[in-house]
Amino acid sequence: MKTNKKDEETGGNVYAHLDKTSVLQEARAFNETPINARKCCFILSKLIYIIQQGESIGRTEATEAFFGVTKLWQSKDVSLRRMVYLAVKELAEVSDDVIIVTSSLTKDMTGREDLYRAAAIRALCKITDTGMLQTIERYMKQAIVDRNSAISSSAIVSSIHLMRKSSEVVRRWANEVQEAVSSDNHMVQYHALALLYQIRANDRLAVNKLVQKFSKNALRSPYAVCYLIRIATRCLVDDDQPDSSVFTFIESCLRHKSEMVVYEAARAIVSLPQTTPSEIQPAITALQMCCTSPKAAVRFAAVRTLNKVAMAHPNAVMSCNVDLEKFITDPNRSIATLAITTLLKTGAESSVERLMQQIAGFVNEISDEFKIVVVDAIRSLCSRYPRKHTVMMPFLAKMLRSDGSYDYKKAIVETIIAIIEENPDAKVAGLAHLCEFIEDCEHDNLSTRVLHLLGREAPKTPNPSSYIRFIYNRVILESTKVRAAAVTALAKFGAQCVDLRPSIQVLLKRCLLDSDDEVRDRATFYLKMLTEAAEGLIHNFILDGLQVSPSGLERSILDYLRSGSYSSPFDLRVVPVTQQALSQPEKRVPQLVEEEEKPKAPKVEPYAAQLAAIPQFAALGPVFKSSTRIALTESIAEYTVHMIKHTFANAMVLQFECKNTMNDQLLLDVSVELEDPDGEWETGNTVQIDKLPYGEVHSAFSLLEFPDSGAISGSLGAILKFKVMDVDPTSGEPDSDDTYEQTYVLEEVDVNVSDSVQGVAKSSFGSAWEALGDDATREETFQLSTVENIPDAVKKISEILGLVPCERSDRVPEGKTQHTVFLSGVFRGGYDVLSKATVAVDPNDNSIAMNIIIKSNEPLVADLVISAVV
Amino acid sequence: MGFFSSLSSLFGLGKKDVNIVVVGLDNSGKTTILNQLKTPETRSQQIVPTVGHVVTNFSTQNLSFHAFDMAGQMKYRSTWESYFHSSQGVIFVLDSSDRLRMELLKDELMMVMEHKDVVSRGIPIVILANKMDIPGAMTASDITVALGLNLYRSGTWSIHSTCALTGDGLDKAMQQLSAEITKYMESRRT
Repeated sequence: MKTNKKDEETGGNVYAHLDKTSVLQEARAFNETPINARKCCFILSKLIYIIQQGESIGRTEATEAFFGVTKLWQSKDVSLRRMVYLAVKELAEVSDDVIIVTSSLTKDMTGREDLYRAAAIRALCKITDTGMLQTIERYMKQAIVDRNSAISSSAIVSSIHLMRKSSEVVRRWANEVQEAVSSDNHMVQYHALALLYQIRANDRLAVNKLVQKFSKNALRSPYAVCYLIRIATRCLVDDDQPDSSVFTFIESCLRHKSEMVVYEAARAIVSLPQTTPSEIQPAITALQMCCTSPKAAVRFAAVRTLNKVAMAHPNAVMSCNVDLEKFITDPNRSIATLAITTLLKTGAESSVERLMQQIAGFVNEISDEFKIVVVDAIRSLCSRYPRKHTVMMPFLAKMLRSDGSYDYKKAIVETIIAIIEENPDAKVAGLAHLCEFIEDCEHDNLSTRVLHLLGREAPKTPNPSSYIRFIYNRVILESTKVRAAAVTALAKFGAQCVDLRPSIQVLLKRCLLDSDDEVRDRATFYLKMLTEAAEGLIHNFILDGLQVSPSGLERSILDYLRSGSYSSPFDLRVVPVTQQALSQPEKRVPQLVEEEEKPKAPKVEPYAAQLAAIPQFAALGPVFKSSTRIALTESIAEYTVHMIKHTFANAMVLQFECKNTMNDQLLLDVSVELEDPDGEWETGNTVQIDKLPYGEVHSAFSLLEFPDSGAISGSLGAILKFKVMDVDPTSGEPDSDDTYEQTYVLEEVDVNVSDSVQGVAKSSFGSAWEALGDDATREETFQLSTVENIPDAVKKISEILGLVPCERSDRVPEGKTQHTVFLSGVFRGGYDVLSKATVAVDPNDNSIAMNIIIKSNEPLVADLVISAVV
Repeated sequence: MGFFSSLSSLFGLGKKDVNIVVVGLDNSGKTTILNQLKTPETRSQQIVPTVGHVVTNFSTQNLSFHAFDMAGQMKYRSTWESYFHSSQGVIFVLDSSDRLRMELLKDELMMVMEHKDVVSRGIPIVILANKMDIPGAMTASDITVALGLNLYRSGTWSIHSTCALTGDGLDKAMQQLSAEITKYMESRRT
């Protein structure tokens, strides 16, 4: 039955097997006189269809077709003309000279035929460019305020698209747009509001005013109100001191007569970052009302929102539990899944088993996407109730055995891995499930990840030898990628369990006969290491892996090969290191847990490429580390400056990203002058910005050499120096050639120890600690007055030193009065730095003391690092 | 209309559809001329420089014209030739008061007259020496000499003095064009 239906469908689609060449051939019919409108319509549909299907048409072919299409303007057939507009829009991107239909479209857009006008406007805006836009500006203004809503809407929507390439011109239409906002038509009002917001989006004050104004005189269109709520929410989130009237407006929308607006307002309130329970309550009540709606879409939206905020406001959501319970048996499985996962998040520990049973009943019926939602819920549940892993693990294992897509399996494997890492009790059971999974796994990526995990975790279990069978099976059965990963996993067993080493060597010897180069190479290398190398080397090369940034390594090797002097060996220490080992996959944040907003550490690579392009800094070598972006000005200042510190082996380059927010000024010769009050630091080369027009971001650079005195920290005064040329705000043309000098004081630039240290985690800290010896060991004990508990202290010390914690020692069990954290990293120049910091709370007065030991393979480095803490 | 027009076209008496291309340098009056040819109620009040091209429809006694009004600016002149192929006549409009650009005009006119789609198909060309009302404008015969058209025997061309603002001379030119096109289409049929 099903296949029959499919056959009919494919038979019904006349466009199914179109050939590009033949369609373009047919398009010649456009040149015939007189024009056969029906035939041309059909050919145009074919042409548009193949473009929509992603068929790429060459520029010459497209242009030829386009010129053919232009000839169809002579026909008066309405449907053909409308097809022509569509075709013009599609061909606009791929064809040359599309501008030649401008006059034809302008004629249609100003003509009397309403059927043409809206479509002509859309096509016209698609083909026009900034220069041409000014000639049709007058018509656009008229169209925006046209009485016909379809025309007005299409003009406004086209303007929204135009905002992207020629915002300056569109900005001039603000008056007309404002008029359109007061239109009676729902769509026009909505579109006009959206455009008005985009016109003012850069000016926070104007946006605030806009919200104030429209929240008072009620908008008719529910769409527009929804949009206004979104703008208002953005205002509340962005502002430091939000206006209370804005919030009052959103809250008043909870009593709007349109369901859509009520939901939007509720969603906005619950998603606000800082809200009190009393503010949240009405919104949750509104969502609860939505839950009882007869419309499935509304119920779904409400449950989905509740699910999202369940972690942030568990108490508030708990009041809806009764309604959610009803949904467990909802015929719509998506709603049921979301309801159950919400209950899992908010419910008590005792109800978990019952809910899991419920969900197990229909888990096979829901789509993979929702299964992933379930898996994520289980993951957050496990971190909340670690003891429940006995219920969860078998459930996950069962899900793992059933069929599913790659994403779904990946989510399960990630969840199991997360549980294993967080909860030592679950380790043995979890590893067993994963072993069973890789016995029959069709996704190479997941197999390799599991093997990597086995290599890391399994040797530390009470009975490591039991896992070897599973791993060696992979060597025999699987694809190249998996075999290679299995060999590495085996070697890790050999490195960590000395008593298993002889048997591992036997297995590795068998791998030497593998059919693939990579597998043989790995086996040979590991075998050699395990039989001959010292314990320290085994640790370094088998367990830790290569912790360098791939692009940095590539650049360094290229430089080495270019230099042509092979007398000195390639020094791996000059290669910039990364915090993540090459093989470590990125961790995925579970979607349903509130995502933390943290400043992302910039990747070294994009900056490295920027710096390498500047000849003054080419001699400095590869970048060792780039800091995060640090603001040196208030975000609302006239000129904003962000600083990024790039550390090289012997110098630092400070990159100042300057932005000019004054639309009537053009800044020339912008540079940042640094001054050290102690006279230790001196600036070397500087690169200034020649021209900084309004709204653009450019970078100035200053070079700082590390002083001979050995200091690696300090703070420097910074002054932004530039010349100002007054310009006309609208055109950007200078008023005159006169310039005047100006300075602008920035916040102080701090250089810290952490700029010279890149955190690199060691997988086995103990052996690395032993291997360093005692030559360069420094110890220090002191009181910490600024922090109040142990976790804060641990975080602080790793921040100050720039080192990262190893072996999960940064997790402090609750209720302990003493904790030792292991930190490791690399000092610029490639020196290892290890540190053991013991933090203790004095039970009498709750003061915190810290004892820190720093070890390095270079005494000077240890001195420098310890100086940072003292 | 319906029945009689279809009946008359059956006997070959109805108006035939023809395509013509209207070209010429910028500001020579192409759009104004076409505007003048339309019925008074469909005329537009304002003439702005054409970008690309516009299709204008008008009719004479026996023919119904689809005129491709091409833009005259330098950057659009390369698009003219795409339309010769599908048309049955060319109107070349020139500004007879513009003595400065006579050489450029000559080049562009030769480009049109010697274009392969024009020469090989032998389609008629009507040259309109527009703006004859301006004092000091060159006469049609002066222009013929200045452009070297008197040496040009091949092809079917004719020149007329016109004034687009008042419509003087246009009727005569259009009659000539209609006659030429009818002749051309009959020669094609046989």
